[in-house]
Amino acid sequence: MQFFGGSEISPLPPLPTASGNNAHMMYVFNRNGVCLLYREWNRPLRTLNAQQDHKLMFGLLFSLKSLTAKMDPTSVEKGNLGVPQLPGQGCSFHSFRTNTYKLSFMESPSGIKIILVTHPGTGDLRESLKYIYNLYVEYVVKNPLYSPGTPFRSELFDKALDQYVRGLG
Amino acid sequence: MGREVSESCVESLLTEMVSSYCTRFYADKPDLAARRIEAIGYQVGHQLSERYTMERPRFSDHLEAIKFICKDFWSELFKKQIDNLKTNHRGTFVLQDNKFRWLSRMSVDPSPENTGSAQDPSTDENKAAQATSMHLYFPCGIIRGALSNLGIPCAVSADISNLPACSFVVRIKA
Repeated sequence: MQFFGGSEISPLPPLPTASGNNAHMMYVFNRNGVCLLYREWNRPLRTLNAQQDHKLMFGLLFSLKSLTAKMDPTSVEKGNLGVPQLPGQGCSFHSFRTNTYKLSFMESPSGIKIILVTHPGTGDLRESLKYIYNLYVEYVVKNPLYSPGTPFRSELFDKALDQYVRGLG
Repeated sequence: MGREVSESCVESLLTEMVSSYCTRFYADKPDLAARRIEAIGYQVGHQLSERYTMERPRFSDHLEAIKFICKDFWSELFKKQIDNLKTNHRGTFVLQDNKFRWLSRMSVDPSPENTGSAQDPSTDENKAAQATSMHLYFPCGIIRGALSNLGIPCAVSADISNLPACSFVVRIKA
């Protein structure tokens, strides 16, 4: 029996273009709406309490996903909504931008949703979100002490995440 | 030996094994669970050492066998060698791995989940240490099984006082 595999996290992260702390906050939800992680780096304005904030965010994304799929003018055949799809397949919403912030979103086929809120000038973060999903798989899912479906706090994940987010352009 | 197995598969299997034995099979008896997991490791180590010593001559003394465990055996299992070997020349060896692969992703949840009872930090740490040490019985068993197949009966225990480095203490029975 031979064990193989490197310990690198793949895919390689996109090169950071600017330095400094760019991101405001991050949410990770699972398929049932449980907020697995909420990280905040820079959030001066807070309108709701934590529970309402999470519920609002999850509801918003759920509706946005359905809306964008239903209003899609291009695809002839619409698969069932709710069927797991790879990020980028089908019609998937990936970000919205206001004059004060940009919200980027990614959903994995297993229903893990990652939301990153950054400043409005940020470019396309789809590759970055995939990298963060890989961090989640490596440090959280593979952590023997983690029970799936519960909010997690892992030092290894936090450290890797902070380091990566600091480099986002 | 051309067939390979995904590392994620093996690690998930080991995680689930420890979790099953600790929470389902021997829920109230952590010592029995530990013994059972160690026994499984013993069988695995026994068979692995058979495989990995196929073309080699017999070992001349205990130190040679321990060095085999540190270099070739550990490389086959974890793609790296033991980083540090210490001995007291009286039958005790300490094998130190500075970044033990199966512990590399282990991270304890620092947030206090229990709000009812007054939990002081020392009990949280104890629970964390206990949970982590459960995962070390399997590698201890592997080492014990490998050495006993080479004709060296011993007792193996693990020391995790500074993670992610992990030390295995081998005491050879006279």
